[in-house]
Amino acid sequence: MRTVVVTLLGALALTAPLIAKDAPLRTPEQRFADLAKAEEPSFRRHVVPLLSRAGCNGRECHGSFQGRGGFRLSLFGYDFEKDLEQMTVKDDGDEKQVRISREHPEKSLLLTKGTNEEPHKGKERFKKGSWEYNTVLKWIKGGAKSDVEATGEFDRLEVSPKEIVFKKVGDKVQLKVLAYWKDGTIEDVTQLTRFRSNDDSVSTISLSGVAEAKDKGDTHIVAFYDNGVHPIPVVLPVSDKVGPKYPRLATTSKVDEHVVGKLAKLGIVPSELCTDTEFLRRVSLDVTGTLPTPDQITSFLSDKSPNKRAAKIDELLKTPAYAAWWATKLSDFLGNNPRLLRGAMGNGGNYGASFSRQWYDWMYHRIAKNEPYDQMMAGIILATGRTRPDQTYEEYAKEMSSYFRDEKPANFAERPNMPYFWHRTNLQKAEEKALAFSHSFLGVRIECAQCHKHPFDQWTQTDFKQFQAFFEGVSSAGSKAGSVKPMAKVAKGEKAAVDDKGEKVKPPVTYASLLKEIKDAVPADPKGGNNQKALQTEFDRRVKAGEPAPWQEVYAMVVAPGKGGDKNAKTKGGFDGRVLTPKVLGGEAVMLNEYPDPRAPLMEWLRSPKNPYFAKAWVNRVWASYFHRGLVEPADDMNLANPPVNGDLMDYLADGFVKHCYDMAWLHKEILTSATYQRSWKPNETNKNDEKNFSRFVIRRLPAELVVDGITQATLASDKIGKYRDEIETRAIGPNANAGSAGKGGKGGGSNYSLNIFGKPVRETNCDCERTTDPTLLQTLFTRNDPELLNTLEQARGSAYVEEVRRLTSNESTPEKLKDSIAKLAPAVKKLEEQLAQNPPKKEKLEAQLKDMKERLTKAEASLELAQKRGPVSQEEFINQVFLRTVSRPPTATEIEKAKADFAAAKSPAEGVRELLWAMLNTREFMVNH
Amino acid sequence: MSTHITCDGVARRDFLRVGALTGVGLSLSDYFALSSQGAVSETKGKAAIFVRLGGGPSHMDTFDLKPDAPETHRGEFKPIKTNADGVMISEHLPKLAKCADKFAILRGVSHTLAAHELGTRYMNTGNRPLPSLNYPHYGAVVAKEIRGTEYLPSFVAVPSLGENATGYLGVEYGPFETGGSPQPGKALEVRGLALKNGVTIEDVDRRQNLVARYDNAFGEFGKDDKLLAGMDQFGQKAYAMMRSSKARDAFDTGKESESITKLFGTDQFSQSCLLATRLIESGVRFTSVSLGGWDTHSDNFNTLKNKNLPTLDAGLSGLFAALAAKGLLETTCVFVTGEFGRTPKVNARGGRDHYPRAMFCLLGGGGIQGGQVVGESDAKGEGPKDKAITPDDVAATFYRALGIDSRKEYQTRTGRPIMIVRNGTPLKELVA
Repeated sequence: MRTVVVTLLGALALTAPLIAKDAPLRTPEQRFADLAKAEEPSFRRHVVPLLSRAGCNGRECHGSFQGRGGFRLSLFGYDFEKDLEQMTVKDDGDEKQVRISREHPEKSLLLTKGTNEEPHKGKERFKKGSWEYNTVLKWIKGGAKSDVEATGEFDRLEVSPKEIVFKKVGDKVQLKVLAYWKDGTIEDVTQLTRFRSNDDSVSTISLSGVAEAKDKGDTHIVAFYDNGVHPIPVVLPVSDKVGPKYPRLATTSKVDEHVVGKLAKLGIVPSELCTDTEFLRRVSLDVTGTLPTPDQITSFLSDKSPNKRAAKIDELLKTPAYAAWWATKLSDFLGNNPRLLRGAMGNGGNYGASFSRQWYDWMYHRIAKNEPYDQMMAGIILATGRTRPDQTYEEYAKEMSSYFRDEKPANFAERPNMPYFWHRTNLQKAEEKALAFSHSFLGVRIECAQCHKHPFDQWTQTDFKQFQAFFEGVSSAGSKAGSVKPMAKVAKGEKAAVDDKGEKVKPPVTYASLLKEIKDAVPADPKGGNNQKALQTEFDRRVKAGEPAPWQEVYAMVVAPGKGGDKNAKTKGGFDGRVLTPKVLGGEAVMLNEYPDPRAPLMEWLRSPKNPYFAKAWVNRVWASYFHRGLVEPADDMNLANPPVNGDLMDYLADGFVKHCYDMAWLHKEILTSATYQRSWKPNETNKNDEKNFSRFVIRRLPAELVVDGITQATLASDKIGKYRDEIETRAIGPNANAGSAGKGGKGGGSNYSLNIFGKPVRETNCDCERTTDPTLLQTLFTRNDPELLNTLEQARGSAYVEEVRRLTSNESTPEKLKDSIAKLAPAVKKLEEQLAQNPPKKEKLEAQLKDMKERLTKAEASLELAQKRGPVSQEEFINQVFLRTVSRPPTATEIEKAKADFAAAKSPAEGVRELLWAMLNTREFMVNH
Repeated sequence: MSTHITCDGVARRDFLRVGALTGVGLSLSDYFALSSQGAVSETKGKAAIFVRLGGGPSHMDTFDLKPDAPETHRGEFKPIKTNADGVMISEHLPKLAKCADKFAILRGVSHTLAAHELGTRYMNTGNRPLPSLNYPHYGAVVAKEIRGTEYLPSFVAVPSLGENATGYLGVEYGPFETGGSPQPGKALEVRGLALKNGVTIEDVDRRQNLVARYDNAFGEFGKDDKLLAGMDQFGQKAYAMMRSSKARDAFDTGKESESITKLFGTDQFSQSCLLATRLIESGVRFTSVSLGGWDTHSDNFNTLKNKNLPTLDAGLSGLFAALAAKGLLETTCVFVTGEFGRTPKVNARGGRDHYPRAMFCLLGGGGIQGGQVVGESDAKGEGPKDKAITPDDVAATFYRALGIDSRKEYQTRTGRPIMIVRNGTPLKELVA
């Protein structure tokens, strides 16, 4: 049997008894209350946690970067050396600045301020003579020494009970916290632990660790000690339907099993399944970012097959719109921002939008063929500018130009890798790369640890710096030096060198040499200016011709610790002069020089089955996209104090995703086919307040692109609407809008204005929260009365439904009239053609006439076909169409009656349709996914 | 130890809870809170006009002339006296010289970001840009801090502000962009408010009823659900705005009296300044106007002399005069800034290049002590003479004038506590 030793420190350690494993551990109060008999307290294990729990190193107290009253502690602790220094060393010779008096320990400011004997802005933190007071006093009497080396590494916390299920409001449970150290020490640190409730309205937690039920619901209580962070779930059922009273629910999928498992604990009964129309609208919007068309709705409703929902999911996952929408989302997560993408000829090149588009396309093609997620990410993470190990810079520069050349441009999407993530101009310094990397690929925010111990996670500043070390050698400027094939050295001043055979060797082409070529090719500005425009023109000329041009390249080199790869790393790479070994977050140290590229071990770590973040980050983002909140929420903020709302479900999906070799389609299907995804929004008594356990569908506003595209689609003519989903180029979820050129020349979908006010992210910061679906007043004004919307109603893409109705209902559009005009037009066309065949004078004029006439003929024929197919046009059909186009369901009988009345008041059927379309686009039913 | 909570990261939890309860963020709860207090129709209060001089105006040729600097530096323009004792500005700003008592000139304002975008961010937020965080534009903060009116947006940009003015505050505090600049004597047709495409007031009323007839798919739940209820509220407010003749009138500079319009030129900038005063009078809290073309890498002196300075002179002097005439100067703080100054040494093309080490800003009205120069650049205008004024200090001063505590803390959406202005201290020469 293993035995453990309690606090082996100082002389007292020798007398500390060995305690059997199961014997209760003594509490700090028991150990330190009696000054005479007390053990020797440890600085790290007892004093610092005590001060921390007393709030001394909090943000508004001495943890503030300015300190308080000249006394500054490291925020949330963990910089033991500095903290000790603040207490024990005079910093300006002023005796009063020292907070510990070795001669008169009782007079130490640390104590007299803490007890408010000396006036203390932070009031009394502990009572004189209390065990807390005595702990600090005893430590001072013992010499106020640091023992960080001696205590060794902290291992973990154990909190009991592991979970609390309350029965009623007011119930209380005392928590107990044990600290495990790597040296085998185990201590009861309940009284030294900081506690926090993630939701005070559900359960509070007292300073001494008593949890108290406040209201129905669930949350977590988190314990903090040293760098240990440990959450435990807390539940107070919301109804009496618990245990045997919980209804028996058949669960057909693993996802449902886990979700219902949690709901049963909470006494929440999930909502019924949604209707077919609700499902079709929801899944089309969520998977493809596109509303279902009237035809799709009608055929789905008439489909009698029992597994039509699963079949629909399969079908949608194969559409271009699926790849487009998820390329858009990935672009969000990875920061694909055209304004921050540079890399052509210094900062001068105007290639940001092109790079952004290429980035999007590259991902689009991989999503479309369902390339495994890890493989696609590796293509981004490990990307270098050069696509082959033996490629020279010159070949690279030519290859880059080949994607932009006029003649048969090469396809960027076929590149084996995609280097633009590293081109981001807000990713220049190693620390910026570390932050963006952890946000994009790990779903972890470590920025806190840049400056202080992370308040909600284990990360310390050292962890951050060690992680940052991976990125010191990753560069995206100029060309990689010393990487060309061996050449005779070019001595300074010499134009060219000579090889062993005495022949002249051209110096290797580099970024700088190409830049110089461009400069040399452009005549100097007579005014002495920097000639930016002319240089750009020459650059563009080379690119269009497919010649090598000075493109910057991404490359990575292993940098000796402390030396620094780029100029920023040189000053900021070191950490207090210590040499740091790169270390993956929460994992192992890595010997970088065993790798050619410092990112290689990172990628290995991401792919290792034990990686705690990589798969979960994606699973969580996909889940968040379908349920409006992640299993961890916010979806990009995985930290120890913010555990998943359903841990088992997270593990199941993440493990499954890895086991299925990062198959994205598998993940989508696993979620979408579950009953959990297909729940109705209609609440019942038990789940009306639940918005986080997935017991019903939580209604949310459509994302910006879907609003904008949805409005366009709803207003398009019947012959355009069917193709709209697949016409990615013109969509707000398409490559043009993603590259920031929405609306320009009609290329992208919608305008930047509308996308902006509906919350499309600009992709400038490392936060998924940039995308917002909050409603605002401006959005309402937009749908009510903005010219963009009003114009779309009448002339969507030059082919509006309203216009179609106008044609169909005009006197010119009866089948008889149409037949008449065809009968007249057809011979006229023939006649003109004959005339033209004889090559008459004024040929252009006749050709124009012919073209016009042919167009009219085609239109008339199409209208006739439509008219015959539809039969007589009915008001009811128009009303039906408007509902299907906007809210994706047929109108109810009442709605038809209302609409008929409104049509009767309208000047024409077309006007009636326009007004009804306007009204439906302004309903909340259109604006939300439900 | 009961207060330990206030000292220890609790703010994040509050934030999460608010988020969890409302489900839709702060915009709605703010709005509900305000409307339930009946406070959303208050029209009097502090306000601001932000005049952005895009491109980076040369400090040496406008408000910080150096007649004694060497020829290579001092430029062509002479300083002239103003109506404020001892304050001299460029000879090409004669109208502003006559109302220099209404604003203060800040010299030796200094930072290090020489790129347009970064400099603009810094000067428009009062916080040095960070890659990990987007700070909100002054206008977004003002829109959040100062209650607006029922029928007008709080933050109006004439004609626009570009992307992401709201930073971590979120789109609800974003600018209402007019999309165009006003023409003399004509109503500016602003998107969403103007009745265009043949829409009449009757149509607005009829359509409001029409939506109500069809927007009831969610039944009672539409009232319980925060998102749905909030969207409905915005529908009511949008209707009120579209229907309000006051709102449309606010954008109609044709309705302005002649005594006011004659204070301005007929160019876009002047007319935008006129509109700004009118909007503030109607209850808008923050209006931004802009005058570009200051990026004078070549031919600096002709450009300034013939174009930029006369335009600025007319518009800005009109702005101060109109605010004074309307009795709004005491409550309206005017803030004029570019993104940086320009190189003191004239380049070979007769131009000046980007130069953030020394620039100027103007602050006036809203209780700012005008008629004085604060701060000083060195003999050649190459940097601050003694202590630099930072953009953060300028921001803190501006907020102080508006009665906003620049050290107030917000929560970013990631739960990080962050002060409105992280490092600035108000300049005590300017604000009490």
